[in-house]
Amino acid sequence: MTGRSWLPHIVFRALAHRKGRTLLLLAVLTMASSLATALGIVSSSMGERVARETRKYGANLVIVPESARVEVGSGGLRFGTIGEPAFLGEGDLLAAVGRSGIKADFSFHLKGVLALKGVEIPCEGVDFARVRRLSPWWQLRGGWPAGNGALIGSDLAARRSLKVGDRLELAGGKGVLQLRVDGIVSTGGDEDGLLFLDLGELQRHMERPGQVSLARLLVDAGGTGLKGKAAALQPLLSGARVKELRQVGRTSEELLAKVQLLMMLVTAVVLMCAGSSVAGTMGATVLERGKEIGLMKAMGGTRWDLLRIFSAEALLLGVAGGVSGYLCGSLIAGFVAWSVFSSPAEPAPWFFLVALGVSLLLALAGSLGPLLSVFRLDPVLSLRGE
Amino acid sequence: MLIRILKNSFLKRPKPVLLVLLSIVMGSAVATAFLGISGEISHKMALELRSYGANIVLEPAAGEAGGTLRSEDLPKLKTIFWKHNIVGFAPYLFGVAEFSAPAGRERGVVAGTWFGRPMQVEGEPDSIQGITVTAPWWELSGRWPETPDEAVVGASLAGRLKLSAGSKIVAAAAGKSRTFQVVGIASTGGFEEEQLFAPLAEVQQLLDKPGELSRVLVSALTVPMDDFGRKDPAAMTKEEYEKWYCTAYVTSVARGVEEVMAGSRAKPIWQIASAEGQLLEKLNSLMLLLTVLALGSAASAVSSSLMASMAKRSAEIALMKTMGADRFQIAAVFLGETALISLLGGVLGYLAGDRLALFISRAVFDSAVASPLWLFPTALAAAFAVALAGSAAPLKRALAVEPVRVLKG
Repeated sequence: MTGRSWLPHIVFRALAHRKGRTLLLLAVLTMASSLATALGIVSSSMGERVARETRKYGANLVIVPESARVEVGSGGLRFGTIGEPAFLGEGDLLAAVGRSGIKADFSFHLKGVLALKGVEIPCEGVDFARVRRLSPWWQLRGGWPAGNGALIGSDLAARRSLKVGDRLELAGGKGVLQLRVDGIVSTGGDEDGLLFLDLGELQRHMERPGQVSLARLLVDAGGTGLKGKAAALQPLLSGARVKELRQVGRTSEELLAKVQLLMMLVTAVVLMCAGSSVAGTMGATVLERGKEIGLMKAMGGTRWDLLRIFSAEALLLGVAGGVSGYLCGSLIAGFVAWSVFSSPAEPAPWFFLVALGVSLLLALAGSLGPLLSVFRLDPVLSLRGE
Repeated sequence: MLIRILKNSFLKRPKPVLLVLLSIVMGSAVATAFLGISGEISHKMALELRSYGANIVLEPAAGEAGGTLRSEDLPKLKTIFWKHNIVGFAPYLFGVAEFSAPAGRERGVVAGTWFGRPMQVEGEPDSIQGITVTAPWWELSGRWPETPDEAVVGASLAGRLKLSAGSKIVAAAAGKSRTFQVVGIASTGGFEEEQLFAPLAEVQQLLDKPGELSRVLVSALTVPMDDFGRKDPAAMTKEEYEKWYCTAYVTSVARGVEEVMAGSRAKPIWQIASAEGQLLEKLNSLMLLLTVLALGSAASAVSSSLMASMAKRSAEIALMKTMGADRFQIAAVFLGETALISLLGGVLGYLAGDRLALFISRAVFDSAVASPLWLFPTALAAAFAVALAGSAAPLKRALAVEPVRVLKG
């Protein structure tokens, strides 16, 4: 057979003639490659999405002065500070974080003691906007403070019979502080026994401008891990210690690893099974081309010609299946991302290659039968019907 | 006669039959594996999230006015309505003490607690309680105390007093003093690093507070909070209160533990409880969607393979018709084939899927998963139903065809 374009002519006519069979093969290839695409896209973004969720647990690093004793006391039990308090400079902290190149959300805290009607109350000066972002679990009655407002921990409010809207006069530093109770906060932790006010106010009152007791950071632990980030930050801060909050940091890292492993295994299992299922289907469909092969050989077709015909068919089906599979798979991945994480899936164009690859691989695997029989078939036997 | 036809149909053309069988086995393996693990995954994920630590704290209701909890009430925690949700708890007794070590002396906090203590409660399964359960993130260099005179020291305290595993530390309080052997140094990044942790009974004796507790931390499996759970229980009607009490919100489990610990007040630790609820919800809906996806693809793979194999047998059907078979006889032959292949495929697929589910569960969660018993007949029935669905359309079409046309080619 010589001439211009007999190959495409034969291939297209063969596919068009048996429409039902062609459509079935296309459907099966589309299903397999869309599954591969969808699972691949979902898996690859899983790590990042779960990491974003675990940010809701709060800070994973804390920076404290070298000489400070972490204020001992847990929950409602206050033993007071045993030892002299120590402080860090805000400017130094900001500079160190900036130089290290670590992306982090942070909040500064200044601890002090003020007297309300003669009784000492532990206080903490914070930037409320930052704390609100870093600690989304704070349960508030009332509202977040503005101006000279304050937040009172629920236990403290109950003990001292304070309500939202009360006005307080606090002494114990430079002069008297006038504060308005804007909200009552309950967390189940240390915050329930503290009074929170604006950082700048407390710094002025304690005559410690620009100084804080500690800083809490929420860093993206990806790449070198949390330990690595802490180690990178430590040399830039002399006189301070960078500590991992293992409860949040380490646990989040382990959880992330487990979720990623689960997704990977699930993807592998489903793809393997779907793949072999599809290969089986394809094999069953294209298996018996004996008569065709015999006829073409009898007409003078060489093995090479026949190989080209079958490979072209497989290629065509594979490409078509891959394209439609990529489109369907992307839609499915987008649906999953939207309904689970309420955020759109990022376009992943390189998964197009994955979809195409899977589809072509399956098409070729399915055509293996007729491709092999091209070599072994005796036309006389097949034309006779055996 | 039917049996002979079926037997020959399988024996004479093994290859297409085997390919269809492969397709069915793989499809039902996926379905089985997924259904097997998806129910368990939710529970296992919830247990994983308990690694973040306790989500309920019990404190004396009297607060700073004094008042303590009693350690004799602790076993009651295993008898409440929510006993199966309580993963573990750890009691604490805090006190201020003078620490002396060869390298110096200072004031600090001594904490009495349980580390990994087996607990037997009558009528309930044995369990382990203590810090190893409620705070698995502690990094311990050394080991946990095993005898009453051993203790664990926080990393900062150990650093200042130059303590290491094997050193001795003396704790003195209220006129008494005890010598402890340091067997482990704990780093956590939190306030634990400033404290000395020793067995509860010893610290109770040291501080002269027999049977007393400062607080109890409880780790419980809970369901995510929703608007109903956030309502104030005091303002609920009787039916609403019952519904709230019987749903495992962190607030209702807290109420449950509060009721058995005399003089206590229970608070959810919101840092842990609120993030956990949202995360669990997302992971569960992800698994659900993946399961639907996997089942859908398994079903379409199986039915398409049946469709493929049925579609090219029109010549056989035509021949049988000319020989005098009526529709029902032909349908019986083909449905019989389908039934046999799908049942065999279903059984093999179930066994394979079971192994797969076990493998995944072991690899990710280090624990086994037992496929529920109802899965086996369901898998078989599903395989048969899907195979039937796949072969129904082409069979109907083939039955309607005129034999003459088909036989002529």
